Amino acid sequence: MSELIIQILAASMLLATPLLLAAIGELVVEKSGVINLGVEGMMLIGGLAGFIALYQLQTSICTLELDGVCFASDTSVNQLQYLGALVVAAVVGAAAAAVFGFLTQHFRANHIAAGLGLTVLGAGLSNSLGGNFFGVDYTAAIVAKVPALFPESWGDVPVLGPLLFAQNLLVPFSFVMLVAVWYFLSQTRAGLVVRAVGENHHSAYALGYPVILVRMLTIMFGGAMAGLAGAFIVIAQIAPKWTEGITVGKGWLALALILFATWRPGRVLLGAYIFGIVLALEPRLKAIFSNMSLELSYFLTALPYIVPVVVLVLISRNPVMIRRNAPASLGQAFEPRS
Amino acid sequence: MIRLVPRTQFGFWPTVFPLLIALVLTIVVGFVVMLAMSEKPLSDIWTLLTFPWQARTASVQWGFVLQKTSYLAVIAVGLSIGFRANVWNIGAEGQFAFGSIAAFAGYLICGMPDTVWFLPVMLAFGVLGGVLWALIPAALRVIANTNELLVSLMLVYVAANVLNYVTTGPWKGDPKAGQAESDPIHHSLQIVSIIERTDFHWGVVISGGAILVLAFIVLFTIFGYSLRVAQNTPRAQRFAGFSPNMTIWLSFIISGAMAGLGGAVYLSAETGKLIQSENYLNGLGFTAIVIAFLGRLHPIGIVAAAFLISYVNVGATYVQSASGVDDAVADLVQVTALFAVLGTAFLARYRVVFGTQALLSERTAS
Repeated sequence: MSELIIQILAASMLLATPLLLAAIGELVVEKSGVINLGVEGMMLIGGLAGFIALYQLQTSICTLELDGVCFASDTSVNQLQYLGALVVAAVVGAAAAAVFGFLTQHFRANHIAAGLGLTVLGAGLSNSLGGNFFGVDYTAAIVAKVPALFPESWGDVPVLGPLLFAQNLLVPFSFVMLVAVWYFLSQTRAGLVVRAVGENHHSAYALGYPVILVRMLTIMFGGAMAGLAGAFIVIAQIAPKWTEGITVGKGWLALALILFATWRPGRVLLGAYIFGIVLALEPRLKAIFSNMSLELSYFLTALPYIVPVVVLVLISRNPVMIRRNAPASLGQAFEPRS
Repeated sequence: MIRLVPRTQFGFWPTVFPLLIALVLTIVVGFVVMLAMSEKPLSDIWTLLTFPWQARTASVQWGFVLQKTSYLAVIAVGLSIGFRANVWNIGAEGQFAFGSIAAFAGYLICGMPDTVWFLPVMLAFGVLGGVLWALIPAALRVIANTNELLVSLMLVYVAANVLNYVTTGPWKGDPKAGQAESDPIHHSLQIVSIIERTDFHWGVVISGGAILVLAFIVLFTIFGYSLRVAQNTPRAQRFAGFSPNMTIWLSFIISGAMAGLGGAVYLSAETGKLIQSENYLNGLGFTAIVIAFLGRLHPIGIVAAAFLISYVNVGATYVQSASGVDDAVADLVQVTALFAVLGTAFLARYRVVFGTQALLSERTAS
């Protein structure tokens, strides 16, 4: 029994990490007064970019060669190559976000329209590029598994093994980023500027803060985090494997998380792990109760999307808490007064 | 020095001019993309632009284009009503799926009729299904102040699961089929083509009719006017006797109805049966969001945008089969078009003034 609990906890860490990464990024974006609904799209694009990068970077040794054509090969990945793929994912995510930033900040486009466009088109573009990007079909591409940070034998250590030692690099990274973002937003002067821009962009502008620059930077940070989240889903969550629409709404869950957390980093963590546990329970409950009715089984599959709705209903009934923490300029276009 | 000065006068040119710039930008980027991806770019671009006449039968290609246009436009026109009023229904894909499910349910409830006269009833069931599914986010928004954008999106995944459930469970048809699917509806209820052996079927006409009715309401009635007013001035709308809650209800009912109709037509005209979601839903409800913005939330613009995007999409598929250029071209063109339209929209609201003129206008402004 306790083994099962640890299994579920380890799995929920794996499932919560991309939500946490994307939500931390978007939290900073929203704190600066911008709402970017393109998280899902940036995750898809970043995830595909990370996968392509890892595919290109991995060490491949041909084991069966005939007439100069390789029929079978051994592939392996080390931490450095993995890190390289993550950097690519983050950069591509940030680049996609920069497009959104230019549209909304410099060309004053509607935030919602640009964000939705980024998501819808990011999905379409990643599907068609992944299906055949310069001749490689990435749905069939094989990439080696990323090794754990610690020696493999450490994974057998009870409790700590599966929860700590066998985890992917990005799991501890997500915690570090969470603390860093909390510290940045609440304890540093630069964080104060970001919040000032988000609360009242006209006042911040009058004080001499570069509103548009600050927002561009936060947007690109959000994009980089979303790219990492996407890469984590593609590369680390199960095995390195890419399929169309692989994030299945995780980017939207990250957006829901921020509403749930009412823009507070600590509660983002809580929410991410609640969603993570719900996601982790679903296949295990199905495996345990293998003779459950079809209705229940499909209900369980849909549960990760029903839970956020219920949570949002419960949280939204308390408008005071939302108003206290929501950035006052959220989603408003900034037009400097002359 | 470049400055943006808010326009005081709006008219035909300030509205159309940015769209022309966006069109030119899209064409330029499209050319560059083709240059990069194709080995013989000029002939491929020519093929892409004139593919209906290049193909063996032009009517087949036009059929594809019109069919795709009709689905995208019927959903997008419905969505645009809410988008104008800042009511964000992005779950049209789910309402589309539920329209199909409800149409099939209606067919079963009424004892599987085998006459074409039942078709309107079946489509009405589809509309009803779309509306019911859309009412969930609307109700939660009005009652509990929930973010309707996220709820409507989450319900897409729930609807996909409902579709998977009914096709593997209660309505499962041929178990030997390679996918989970229901039994087909009676052939007399399957919408037929207007031109033989093309996808130009009566469903296109039905969707076109729905678009015309809705466009008339939006453009020429007081009711439509008050909906349009809501876009920029919620206060003015309240003076017109509309509560914000009323706008939310109506936006969701209309967009749900249009998506549901699309779903019912799709069931009747394209597949004739329900199929598991991966093979049935192909993102029309999401693409329609882009189409709505491309058409600037105006019915005429939306139909034009739906036609252009469908034309490029079908054309790219044709070029891919004819000369092996990846049809990702279509997606790239779509991305460019949307970002160009969004990026030039500010030109409708501002004048760009250069140099000393900028200083002058600043002085007159203050």
